[in-house]
Amino acid sequence: MQADQLIVENVSVSFSGFRAVSDLCLKVRAGELRCLIGPNGAGKTTALDLICGKTRLSGGEILFKGKPIHRLSEHAIARAGIGRKFQVPSVFRALSVRDNLHIGHSKQPGVLANLATFGQGSDTEDIERLAELVGLEDELDTPAAHLSHGQTQWLEIALILAQDPSLILMDEPTAGMTAQETKKTAQLFNRLGGRHTLIVVEHDMGFVRDIAQTISVMHQGKLLAEGSITDIESNQAVRDAYLGSGGIGHA
Amino acid sequence: MSNQGNNRVPEQIQEKGIAVFRPELRENKELERFRVSVKNGNALARTKTEIALYAAVCLAILLVPVFLQDAFLLNKYARYLVFGMLAVSLSLSWGYAGILNLGQAMTFGIGSYCMAMMLKLKTVPVHTGADGLPDFMVWNNVTELPWFWTPFYSPLFGVLAGILLPACVAALLGWFVFKGRVTGVYAAIITLAAMVVVQLVIIDQQAFTGGFNGITDLGQFDIAGITFDAYGSSSYYLVAICLTVTLFLALAITKSKTGLIVQAIRDEEDRVRFFGYDVALYKIFIFSVSAAIAGLAGMLYTIVMEFASPTFLGVPLSLSVVIWVAVGGRQSLLGAMLGALIVTGVQGALSESETFLDTWTLIMGLLFVLVVLFLPQGIAGAFASLARRFERQRPAPARKPVQHTEPVPNGREIESTR
Repeated sequence: MQADQLIVENVSVSFSGFRAVSDLCLKVRAGELRCLIGPNGAGKTTALDLICGKTRLSGGEILFKGKPIHRLSEHAIARAGIGRKFQVPSVFRALSVRDNLHIGHSKQPGVLANLATFGQGSDTEDIERLAELVGLEDELDTPAAHLSHGQTQWLEIALILAQDPSLILMDEPTAGMTAQETKKTAQLFNRLGGRHTLIVVEHDMGFVRDIAQTISVMHQGKLLAEGSITDIESNQAVRDAYLGSGGIGHA
Repeated sequence: MSNQGNNRVPEQIQEKGIAVFRPELRENKELERFRVSVKNGNALARTKTEIALYAAVCLAILLVPVFLQDAFLLNKYARYLVFGMLAVSLSLSWGYAGILNLGQAMTFGIGSYCMAMMLKLKTVPVHTGADGLPDFMVWNNVTELPWFWTPFYSPLFGVLAGILLPACVAALLGWFVFKGRVTGVYAAIITLAAMVVVQLVIIDQQAFTGGFNGITDLGQFDIAGITFDAYGSSSYYLVAICLTVTLFLALAITKSKTGLIVQAIRDEEDRVRFFGYDVALYKIFIFSVSAAIAGLAGMLYTIVMEFASPTFLGVPLSLSVVIWVAVGGRQSLLGAMLGALIVTGVQGALSESETFLDTWTLIMGLLFVLVVLFLPQGIAGAFASLARRFERQRPAPARKPVQHTEPVPNGREIESTR
């Protein structure tokens, strides 16, 4: 059993009185593929925001590889090895796919060092490979604004892979994808497990079934249940939480 | 696509995954390398065309004095070129980094005053003789040269100050604005306000700055034995060479990875931050480089105009720069520069002709409205889309067929099978 790479301990945050996340505890092992599910407004996205530093927590602490990260700035957290994919795909629309991937390669984040960097240099092969992995090899010189929604999702995934963080936070990666594309994404994620740690927030239960090793269920800002897919599906508390939203499969 | 096709997809993913994470197992590596180099070649060719275009324009500008000996016209064109340089500086911060600087004239004015202070100290004062005080200080009952004037006896200090002081002021302002994550229209208002503050201080401190009158009766700038007469070709060449160097330096910055990241910040600031780049530092950098270029332009403006005035830090000039850049195309350095030349040139021609004496401001206004309505990317943007259309009409160069062990579906094919 490997050590916990990420430890979220008693973390709380409130937005003008509303406690979006309260006393959340989460432990993720290195190389694990963890799914985070829950009804709307359960605080899943907020939990990811807290880990990557987008939102500041008001109580508790977050340890990554044994070090507290909740007081670091966003870029420092990213440099520590945490990558984030946003719910609404966020890419550089005015730039070509190639340039997007080049920016994703952020091993060298300094202003002056990058001032002396022209062209992709030794990164070229890496960039081509990543583009091919997500099926964008023929769109390398296309501005990202011209890509379809599914392609944009994949481009952002490829950007995170270019960054090569040890922990990847994915917020609804398959939103807007066709069944085919979703299947391909599941394959990709299964391959990433082991090498990267993944935390995936997802609504598509079919997709969750395809990829999840362990599932954490959130409800009203708290951790409700944790376990394998069969544990979760038979858990009465989870069924109650999803009551009224058409059951877990349709959430 | 048939059922069989659907089932094949995961297998291919697996194969591709192997290829990505264990590249040594890849087949057709040589072929792929060839394809990579072809594609890179296209991007490289585009950059080469761009450099050639910039070089051609700069060469044309440098050749003007060969055909034109009129001192008055040369001085006027040198002035336009200074405005062109100012436009390049704004294009860098507005077009590339998305920071709309409404106070670009602030750093321009600081540079201009640095040069004026240095040139003022080169003259022999009328009232107090050699090593005495500048005339306006005597009129204001100042008895001793203020401490911040003394270093300007050194021409080297004067020139360096004209570039570095604006850069430092911009870095300080940028530190507060960008570290505090002030963006968009709020950042624009802060730059405008900062400029007005500096202008008011200069007007208010008449004893040390000449107040409303500015600093006049300057000596002539000289370097390495060449004296730059405002109405001679030497000053024109000085401005043209500085413009060429600036243009290529700015082009190099935009082509570097830093330039790419700056453009990414303009598109999606948060996305860049979560890759581990310090967004504020990148913004401060480009803001300061832009200020340094504006400072250099300000110094040249003092040489060409032979005085410095608080109007150089004025709102009208500052907003004019925004208009030049918008007309020329803010996402093209060359476009922004040509925008400044065209607008100031047309403005000059219209205001000097008798027919348009009363209506020229209206005509200019109409021109801006038309450009904003029909050419949102400015003149450069219009040319770029024309060039793209022309490129598309030409038959694409035949691609070397690349053999894959199996055909690879890309995103589009998958979509079409829905």
